[in-house]
Amino acid sequence: MSSYIEGILMLSGINLIAVLGLSLLTGFAGLFSFGHAGFMAIGAYSAAVCTKLLGLPFVVAIAAAALVAAGVSWLIGRATLKLKGDYFCIATLGFGEAIRLILDNFQGLGGARGWPGIPPHTTLLNILVLDVIGVVLLANLVRSRHGRNMIAVREEELAAKVAGIDTFRYKMLALVISAAYAGVAGALLGHYMTFIQPKMFSMVKSTELTIIVIFGGLGSISGSVLGAVVLTFLPELLRAVDKWRLVVYGLAVIGIMIGRPRGLMGGFELTPKSIRAHFARRREERAIKAGRAAEDGDEALSGEADGKGGL
Amino acid sequence: MAQFLQQMVNGLSIGSVYALMAVGYSLVYSIMNFSNFAHGGVIMFGAYFGFFAMTLLKLPFVASFALAFVGTAVLAVVIERIAYKPLRERSAPFLYFIISAMGASIFLENIIIATIGPTFRTYPDVFGRTSISLGSVSIGRLDLIMFVISAVCLTGLVLFIDKTKMGRAIQASAYNMKAAALMGVNTDRVVMIVFALGGMLAGIAGVFFGMKYTVYPQIGNITTKSFVAAVFGGLGSLPGAVLGSVLLGVIETLVAGYLSSQFRDLIAFVILIGVLVFRPTGIMGKTTEDKA
Amino acid sequence: MSDILQVRGLTKRFGGLAAVNDVDFDVREGGISGLIGPNGAGKTTIFNLITGVYKVSSGSVSFGGRDITDLEPHRIAGLGVTRTFQNIRLFKNLTVFENVLTACHASASYGLADSLLRLPRFRREERAIMDKADGLLEILGLADRKDAIANGLPYGLQRRLEITRALALDPKLLLLDEPAAGMNPDETEQLMRLIGEIRDRFKLSVLVIEHHMDLVMGLCEHIVVLNFGQKLADGAPEAIRGDERVVEAYLGGGDQ
Repeated sequence: MSSYIEGILMLSGINLIAVLGLSLLTGFAGLFSFGHAGFMAIGAYSAAVCTKLLGLPFVVAIAAAALVAAGVSWLIGRATLKLKGDYFCIATLGFGEAIRLILDNFQGLGGARGWPGIPPHTTLLNILVLDVIGVVLLANLVRSRHGRNMIAVREEELAAKVAGIDTFRYKMLALVISAAYAGVAGALLGHYMTFIQPKMFSMVKSTELTIIVIFGGLGSISGSVLGAVVLTFLPELLRAVDKWRLVVYGLAVIGIMIGRPRGLMGGFELTPKSIRAHFARRREERAIKAGRAAEDGDEALSGEADGKGGL
Repeated sequence: MAQFLQQMVNGLSIGSVYALMAVGYSLVYSIMNFSNFAHGGVIMFGAYFGFFAMTLLKLPFVASFALAFVGTAVLAVVIERIAYKPLRERSAPFLYFIISAMGASIFLENIIIATIGPTFRTYPDVFGRTSISLGSVSIGRLDLIMFVISAVCLTGLVLFIDKTKMGRAIQASAYNMKAAALMGVNTDRVVMIVFALGGMLAGIAGVFFGMKYTVYPQIGNITTKSFVAAVFGGLGSLPGAVLGSVLLGVIETLVAGYLSSQFRDLIAFVILIGVLVFRPTGIMGKTTEDKA
Repeated sequence: MSDILQVRGLTKRFGGLAAVNDVDFDVREGGISGLIGPNGAGKTTIFNLITGVYKVSSGSVSFGGRDITDLEPHRIAGLGVTRTFQNIRLFKNLTVFENVLTACHASASYGLADSLLRLPRFRREERAIMDKADGLLEILGLADRKDAIANGLPYGLQRRLEITRALALDPKLLLLDEPAAGMNPDETEQLMRLIGEIRDRFKLSVLVIEHHMDLVMGLCEHIVVLNFGQKLADGAPEAIRGDERVVEAYLGGGDQ
């Protein structure tokens, strides 16, 4: 495989992890985070501190990235998740910018000019492994009472409360997990580019992640996977018209919200079970058609209504 | 002491620009109960409208200014019709509105970058660089004019909302949209007018911002500060938005002057944390519980 | 017989207006009580205060002898007080099954690790709550609609689903907010029987807000009348029917 394609695949894989986390937060729990790249930044810099300054192994660095990002998100959650949704949005907006500003001015970690010389620990293999783990864990989470509670909070928060769900706790859980995922993605990115700079984690990056989640479909894991790959490759293919890409994205986002909020996958999850179910339905439909054709041959106009539907 | 007063004046000056931005946002928030995150893009368009009116169309300042805020009022309404109204009609969840707003914001910023280009533009010098001296304090002519116009606009807005029939309709809708509709208020028109007003204020803020600093596609990012200012003053309260903005401007300037200019932009975030931790409803906010 | 719910001096102010003003009443254990009054009398507000959705301005609510005033709504639900809403708050885009299953979660206690790693405890308890959800749907006659999207159900079934969801938490007190709204006399009759059966079968107490007088008079053993946020009358149906003040304020000076 050419190293160019491999590079884009690796970037897709890295984006995917952050996107999975954001998908949980926005797609499943219904919370909109403006500055999610800020958690990637925290992860990237924490991991770099571990490997470059403390000489720790990569695995430890990744774990640290997840934990620190999760910890910071916990603080934000405590301050905002009991309040109206707008506060959380504004807080994440401010957070994203603040992280960048703080890192810009922190000369010890390279400041605005960036921090070079980070060991190149990231490989296609470890990205793939983490991707698979990430997807499996997320899928398991979503199909459990924890995930369903998040979905309930998203659907109708008040009803969720009186149905015994501690809505604050589940929003917090979604936030912390999503931040951990973002932190891991940041760590991987840093050790792939071997160079990190606050600018890499600006609002533009946050927006890019959110767009992938939306295109893939809110509440669809397979959508996020597809979205991450497609939307990481797309800019490469559309390099010529790059400046119009975001213009189109902006309009597309509005269009998706109005026309097809379930995104690319239309709320349909690509799982072994659903694929089998799809083919089973097709078989069933064909059988019904065949049966009806036979019936029509026998009873021309019986006037009998189809038994489906009704009460 | 003189320096302190001077800093205060500078702070008030930037604070009044923040106030225009924050009030536009708060107005829409208090009626629609949602944060129009595309507000920044409209402000930015205001800056560009004014700029091109003066440089391309060679219009005098007053005409350019008017063109700018009329343009943004229209733009705001167009955005509402395209990006929000369809969602409102379907009673879409709050999340969809925010995402749609984000989409609009991305579109606005990038259409400028794609067509006109990202280079900074500078407004032609209208009021001269002269300052007026009041004792030991000097106020730039531009700043003074901005301050006066902002004050006039905001007062006008308050009078409109308090004293006119449409203003009362707006207040009724802010309290309860459905009840207002049942009372015969044309809520669709109310929404349009509210967005138009917000857009107008955005346009004025944009022109002032452009005149005081420069014009570039990312001006929208400054609105983060105005959102913080609105939260600081109390989300949903218009006087609160003004108060929060002015305080933010002053505190920012004082910190930049006495401590370090590096931390200037972080101040907004620090204030936000403080508000969220100690008093989420802001200075003038009231706690409201959702009607069940 | 003891009281399962005791409300004392309950007051809720919005700004200067007292939506609920110094209200006292009890709900007997195992009984069906009604809360009636003209629109705007404060009935739903009282439900909101009992279930922790609103914080009280003053007064107290105690349930089963325990003070539950101002507890978080989910905790109150966990203690055994569940409710339905006047304008049906189902998880609209989820299926009938999922709506009920979500409320069954309280019966499961597996942790995050169990979910993520699909440990035996997860499988066991998932199976149990799914069976429980199925069972409830069966009892309440919704089993054949199990996979239908909640939003697509006919109105009457949506109400029934909301009640089923409220039952999934094994409540001891069920609060129903205008369950018969929008129903014709036949459906109201059915609902009345259903509520009675639920009370008997699940051994719980019920407090109903209603405007349909036939349902209230026919079903409730005890009625509390509210007007302008204050309690007007409190007693057995016959007494209420005959009470002049109630007749004047609410029933319009004649028989319904």
